[in-house]
Amino acid sequence: MSLPVLAAAFAVGTVIAIVAFLIAATYNDVIALSRRIDKAWANIEVSLQQRHDQLPALVDAVRGLMTFERDVLTEVTEARAAFSRSDPIPTQAATSEATSRALRSLFATVERYPEIKSAGNVLSLQEEIERLEAMIADRRELYNDQIYRYNARIGQVPAIFLASMFGWRPRPFFDAEPAAGVRPAGL
Amino acid sequence: MIHVKLPTDLTLAAFATVGVVVGLILLVRGFTGYRAARRISGTSTSRISALAVGEVLVSGAAEPLELTLVSPLQSAPCLYYRSRVREASDGDGRDIFTEERAVGFRVRDDSGAVRVFPRGARFDVPNLFDGTSGSWDGAPPGLMPRVGSAFGPGSDRESQIAALTTVRDPGGDPWGHYRTPGAPAVLAYSGSVLAAGSGRRHYEEARIDPGEVVTVIGRVLPFSELDDPASANLLDGSSDPASDPEIAADLAEAREAGILADSPTEAWGNAAIEGFGIGHPVRSPVLDPEATPPPPPDPALAARAAATFDIAPGDLVIAASDEVPLIISLGAPATAAARHQLQFVIGLLGAVLSIGSAMALALLLDGTIP
Repeated sequence: MSLPVLAAAFAVGTVIAIVAFLIAATYNDVIALSRRIDKAWANIEVSLQQRHDQLPALVDAVRGLMTFERDVLTEVTEARAAFSRSDPIPTQAATSEATSRALRSLFATVERYPEIKSAGNVLSLQEEIERLEAMIADRRELYNDQIYRYNARIGQVPAIFLASMFGWRPRPFFDAEPAAGVRPAGL
Repeated sequence: MIHVKLPTDLTLAAFATVGVVVGLILLVRGFTGYRAARRISGTSTSRISALAVGEVLVSGAAEPLELTLVSPLQSAPCLYYRSRVREASDGDGRDIFTEERAVGFRVRDDSGAVRVFPRGARFDVPNLFDGTSGSWDGAPPGLMPRVGSAFGPGSDRESQIAALTTVRDPGGDPWGHYRTPGAPAVLAYSGSVLAAGSGRRHYEEARIDPGEVVTVIGRVLPFSELDDPASANLLDGSSDPASDPEIAADLAEAREAGILADSPTEAWGNAAIEGFGIGHPVRSPVLDPEATPPPPPDPALAARAAATFDIAPGDLVIAASDEVPLIISLGAPATAAARHQLQFVIGLLGAVLSIGSAMALALLLDGTIP
């Protein structure tokens, strides 16, 4: 074997090493992205569960005082009852959004009853649920951003060539109203 | 069978060999940069108020805590530095001074702040100071060697006032005695290890200054799960002075003369317990039953100490772990990722250089190129 042939083999070997590295790195990247999505989702579930667990206490605290606002309490109770961790992500997102809406109505109603608002347990429950609401919003944002990165990555070269081989598919956003992202007809 | 004809001029062959090796080194560095860039661009930035245990990426302004550092080459207060001085007068480019240090700091975004323990971190910080001195033109502009301790006061107002209003011996003074610009290039480190040389010196310093934006990828965990907070709060890449035979001999002489205690515990007692000042001492202090009980602390002083040092066991902090390496980069995530991507592009160019050099070397040794 002559030296030029050895040099050519070295060149080919280097190129193969680069390609192999890119394939391995891409595979690892996508797997890591997928794991981060799972973790982000698990963190959302923890916050949803914490809020779910807090709701009965809040409803009990205000029930006796709000004799004329049954609809608001019913809305919160129904939203809570609809929560199920086994539902698909879009369904859970819709349930979560409905719960947030019901809670906003409840807190707005409580504002009209100074005697309820000033009750110590109502105030602390309200603060805790508002903290959880903010945390859910932040974690939802993080989850959706992670989903965006994953979906973008598997649609790019070289991951797009590996996607069919490894069964990588776009994953759903945590979005209650997917239609909101659709551009209106005529624009 | 490979036939090798030694070329008459070995300079070209030597250049080609160096090209192959340098190209491969650049390629390997490029691979590292690619992985780091992908890790940064593949991780969403968490809001600090919504952190959860596990791997995270946070970005925000770096704030000092109990301590700051003083950089060796520019005497700048900072949270991290990596300094190097190379002497090139004899052509071997040997390092005559290298030091890397970091202290614990806080990252703050618009939602909150989280403490970062830098032990085990890989810092991605470009050089802020890069200058060369010559035999004739003296020190490079901006060189202000540190005089005194590498550690400075923390961020709280009282520490800074105390540091400014305390008069100390200039020989051992860590504060307020920085050299003025244009002073002779003498680095008074560890007893004048670095005196002004007669040859060319190359100075490099990378730093994270207080207030700069950093990007941190690491593992979030409750403070109580840190094995050794005192150790985790400090990254010390400087050489151990005690390993220097001359310094070791001086230490032994001082111990024999009774000037120096045999151990930190003997010298400082309970204050030598690791973690003493950071909330998690590694063992209980030994109390002298006959000692006079201390007076009740001044409430204002106690509140200040608590605000500075106390970390609740459940507070979330960021640190390195075996599963999640800690990377601390200067700049926003996009800036840090772009820096690593550039490293990958340079690595690909290194591959081209390596292949080209290998071909040239083969043709030289084969005799195709006379």
